[in-house]
Amino acid sequence: MRHQCALKLWLPMLIFFFGGLVSLAWADTVYVQAKTAKLRAGKTSLDPVVTALKYGEALEILKTEGSWLQVRTSAGKTGWIFTNYTTTVKPSGGDDELAKLGQSFRRKEASDTTASAGARGLDKVSETYAKGSGIPQRYRDAVDRMTAYQVGDQEVEDFIKKGELGEYAK
Amino acid sequence: MRNKYSPIIIVAVTGLIIAGLAGCAEVQQVAEDTARRSGDQRLAQTIHGAGTVVGGFLPIGYEEEQSIGQAIALQVIARSGGVVEQPELTRYVNLVGRAVASTSDRPDIPYHFAVLNDDSINAFAAPAGYVFVTRGLLKQIRNEAELAAVLGHEIAHVSQKHILEVIQRSKRLAGVAEAGLAYANQNPQAFKNVIDAAVKKLFDEGLDQEKEIEADALGDAFAARVGYDPTAYVALLNRLRALKGDDRAFFKTHPNFSARISAVQNTIQSNGWKANGVLLADRFAGAGKI
Repeated sequence: MRHQCALKLWLPMLIFFFGGLVSLAWADTVYVQAKTAKLRAGKTSLDPVVTALKYGEALEILKTEGSWLQVRTSAGKTGWIFTNYTTTVKPSGGDDELAKLGQSFRRKEASDTTASAGARGLDKVSETYAKGSGIPQRYRDAVDRMTAYQVGDQEVEDFIKKGELGEYAK
Repeated sequence: MRNKYSPIIIVAVTGLIIAGLAGCAEVQQVAEDTARRSGDQRLAQTIHGAGTVVGGFLPIGYEEEQSIGQAIALQVIARSGGVVEQPELTRYVNLVGRAVASTSDRPDIPYHFAVLNDDSINAFAAPAGYVFVTRGLLKQIRNEAELAAVLGHEIAHVSQKHILEVIQRSKRLAGVAEAGLAYANQNPQAFKNVIDAAVKKLFDEGLDQEKEIEADALGDAFAARVGYDPTAYVALLNRLRALKGDDRAFFKTHPNFSARISAVQNTIQSNGWKANGVLLADRFAGAGKI
């Protein structure tokens, strides 16, 4: 009797678990490979944005139509994405964990030199290098300006749109 | 002869290295601070040294990459006689470059683009996203799709960390544990030697040929993902081959054009990409022509 109860309890759980595994194995997954990809309500760039997608985010393919994929996000949102902005291989992107760990080991010694890293222009290390190598000031200024030059994501998006590139193609 | 360190210290240091490798550099810092506060300077120094050695075997992080990238960028600009100062052109090249970088396999770092004041036909990348195209190459480019593929090639060198690999290799050859910020701070001359070796490799010898072929294929893929015609790059390489031939002297830093054209064509075919005619020649003629 007790065994029967246990079986009644476990059987649906086993079916649910293995059923889940099978559906995971069968679902086609793609990953976002664009910095500012959007999930849209329809398969044109004129359709409203359902949500912004994160780089590397996994999407389950529901349907393919022309250059667009109908997908479902892990949060359960459904919409369309331009196929070019996806890839079948999960993109690695950025520093791996070993690089971050290596830097954290070395960082404490370098705390004074990192003070300007990420801020505008040349950091202290490259400034020291420039002086030690006799690089003229005008070339240091050129790298300084290059580093500080700003172009926002929205400007890039507008540029792509104006060129009728990708999802904005007519 | 008396042993320099007691077994307890050796065990403690070994444990800390293992803790560090497990992902906890902070553990090492706490232990070092504790040893210092308790007055055991020798133990503190040993823990500090152990952390440095462990860190030396691990890959370079982004902040360190930025210092290295800036140092190499300084050399690239100095060797090329500076950059072209045309605000409209700078803006255009940055917009095309950042559009391509946004669909690359490393879109999360800031990329910086500039035109070098140099009439030779070339393009360069330095770590951390510094990308250069020469005035000479820009003169050969006929449309935005070709420019996108050229910038894509250089972005691929950054995203695949090809130059950082050279740095890692040269610092190992030099018997140096580090090539990052701390190292540069302590020993600027040795840091300079490592950077100069990388610059020499970049300008005089070139990266491994398979890295160039990989950058061609990836760069064309990044540009195609934005929406540019993937066959545009083949057209540019064909024109450059007609101009320069496959003379080895010209290609001391890159595989010859025939090998590159063939590799890009294979990539286009294997991915099933088609010519889509999106070249944007007019936009290029308006903003990108030099």
